[in-house]
Amino acid sequence: MDELLRIKNLKTRFHTQDGVVNAVNGISYQLEKGEVLGVVGESGCGKSVHALSIMRLIQIPPGEISDGEIWFENRDLLTLSENQMRRVRGRDIAMVFQDPMSSLNPVLKVGFQIVEALRLHTDLNPKAAKDRAAELLSLVGIPEPYKRLDNYPHQFSGGMRQRAMIAMALSCEPKLLIADEPTTALDVTIQAQIVDLVIKLQENFGMSIMWITHDLGIVAEMAHKINVMYAGYIIESGSAQDIFKRTRHPYTMGLLGSLPKIDEEPGTKLLSIPGLPPDLLRLPKGCPFYARCNYREDHCKEEMPELEDTDKNGHLVACWRWEEILAGEIT
Amino acid sequence: MDEVKLELSAVDDFAVREHRSLWGDAWRRLIANRTAMIGLVVVAIFLLSATLAHFFWEYEPKMDLDYGAKLLPPQLVATEEIDVHLFGTDKLGRDIFRRTVHGGWNSLRVGLVAVGISLTIGGFLGLLAGFFESINMNFWESLTLMTVLGLAMGALPAWIARQYFQMVLFAALGASSVIVSRYVEEANKFRRFAFPAAGALIGGLSGWLVGGMVALVCGILGLIIGFLLAKPVGGDLFSNVVMRVMDVILSFPSYLLAIAIVAFLGPGLEKGMIAIGIVGIPVYARLARSAVLSVSKKEYVLASQSVGESHGRMLFRHIVPNILSPIIVQATMGLASAILSAAALGFLGLGAIPPEPEWGAMLGDSYKYLSSGAWWAVLFPGLAIMLSVLGFNLLGDGLRDALDPKIRL
Repeated sequence: MDELLRIKNLKTRFHTQDGVVNAVNGISYQLEKGEVLGVVGESGCGKSVHALSIMRLIQIPPGEISDGEIWFENRDLLTLSENQMRRVRGRDIAMVFQDPMSSLNPVLKVGFQIVEALRLHTDLNPKAAKDRAAELLSLVGIPEPYKRLDNYPHQFSGGMRQRAMIAMALSCEPKLLIADEPTTALDVTIQAQIVDLVIKLQENFGMSIMWITHDLGIVAEMAHKINVMYAGYIIESGSAQDIFKRTRHPYTMGLLGSLPKIDEEPGTKLLSIPGLPPDLLRLPKGCPFYARCNYREDHCKEEMPELEDTDKNGHLVACWRWEEILAGEIT
Repeated sequence: MDEVKLELSAVDDFAVREHRSLWGDAWRRLIANRTAMIGLVVVAIFLLSATLAHFFWEYEPKMDLDYGAKLLPPQLVATEEIDVHLFGTDKLGRDIFRRTVHGGWNSLRVGLVAVGISLTIGGFLGLLAGFFESINMNFWESLTLMTVLGLAMGALPAWIARQYFQMVLFAALGASSVIVSRYVEEANKFRRFAFPAAGALIGGLSGWLVGGMVALVCGILGLIIGFLLAKPVGGDLFSNVVMRVMDVILSFPSYLLAIAIVAFLGPGLEKGMIAIGIVGIPVYARLARSAVLSVSKKEYVLASQSVGESHGRMLFRHIVPNILSPIIVQATMGLASAILSAAALGFLGLGAIPPEPEWGAMLGDSYKYLSSGAWWAVLFPGLAIMLSVLGFNLLGDGLRDALDPKIRL
């Protein structure tokens, strides 16, 4: 497969009154054309910030992309001018946001907003753009699209708004769709519909998708590759099989262990990972997971482990002791 | 793109609500509000009567004089000696009804123009301040800002030396600051000395054309300006400076400031408009900035940016419509206070120049005759002021309720 996006050593920081928040700390990975990448991790681990960094939507100051390269189709996005970047946004990379209730402008008609996105990047005339917008709405499963174009966002339900957002994101057939927790604000049945919709659209358009979520179930279903993030680092990366069946990192194990099982006795206590993620203002020198890890040893505190290819097949883990853990030498 | 068939039956609730636009909705709620309607009717009566009188009821204040009919009480029916004087006459025998109606044209005009001035300048400044506090300035915006800043700051030494080409040079200095910091590596070391030096040179040399002392003063001013222009102003700093200037204006008692400005500009209706307009600027600047700040944190602004929209479209298509309602409310209320301020200036003899009819000036002319029993000469212009202010306030209150999306009926 061809490479679409390659990120090298991306670091994003925020300069706040309390000090420097290290939101993304040198992550590197690549994304192939047509690949679905799941990015998982708990709140505040840098998932969204790294996506916004790719789009260069970080506000500078207080934010700063302090290091790294973002290669998208042989161009380093970080070196583009603002005007060049504007042409990338929406046309090459599109984004769907978390809260469909607030990501459509309440005072503008839904149709207007889709048409606007279309006309920014294509030379369709108003009539053709409207037809295309209606086509997109029906594509994402909204009936009576022409009528719906004239509706305001408050006349849409949450699921429909997210569909409209997806239609807007797809309007220029982007090569990469970044979905930043698009189903978090929706209830479970609608979540499933949106996931199905995106999978179908992905098969149809052949675009790459980066699906950011903290819901492991969703990425298990759809992602070809999963990055597990913790405190601004990628700590484990691999195929869905790798992550779920051949888990190597203690944090990922903890995440999976804390999922409730359907066949559990009612009343069984849910497992959780004790402690809190490290303060991003004062990142520890060593492994960020040290304080909460069951397998820690003194060395972990001193030095941050690098991502290591554990099976020569792209299952990467950043842990000093993965081999010992795998061999069952420690518990 | 091929067609994708989806089972529509699985899709969530598609109940279509009644189609209502935002403004239609607000209008419906405004009509349902009785006090707001009273306000609207009062305002409409004043606006209509003033406009009609101005265009269709000729009145030449300079020729209006009738000593034979001075200080007559309201006269509803014409007799042989006296015409109908609905509101009586004043000390020069002028018909108060006529002057009140015509004075409305002046008073309302002052209110409208003053609010227009405050709204345009204050709103624009607040808009920019709030916008650039939350979204990065790009190269061209930065360039424009620094050029304007250079031009504005250059005005002071240019005025002192009466050498106005200085302003252009300072503007160029501001623009070059942006260009340098973008294209020259290691710009920091260079500009810390080069810009103040260049500023001092511009100020000093052009001051030299006038005289040694002027050269010194302009040189020092140029030095300071060069120092300030050395680094392109970021959105945060810009917003801070604008808002602090607004705070300074706001720290003056508003009538006092208006009087001071009129004293500087000289009396007259137009000068009054400008004075009241300037005094009102900070209110709109603050309001617009805070509204922009809260709206630009909304996800739809980020979303519009993520589809590649330009800053101009983000600001005017996505942000401005969303902050319009508090501004409309404030402007309506502002009309009331501007009318009141205009009347106050007129009362003090600083607004309309007599014999031009204006409510405040009419009050000021006639209150001395109150003790001799001529209540009508004061009552009717006063009533006009009160009712128009009340009307605008009621309307503003109603608009606030109608435009607040939190209380959807």
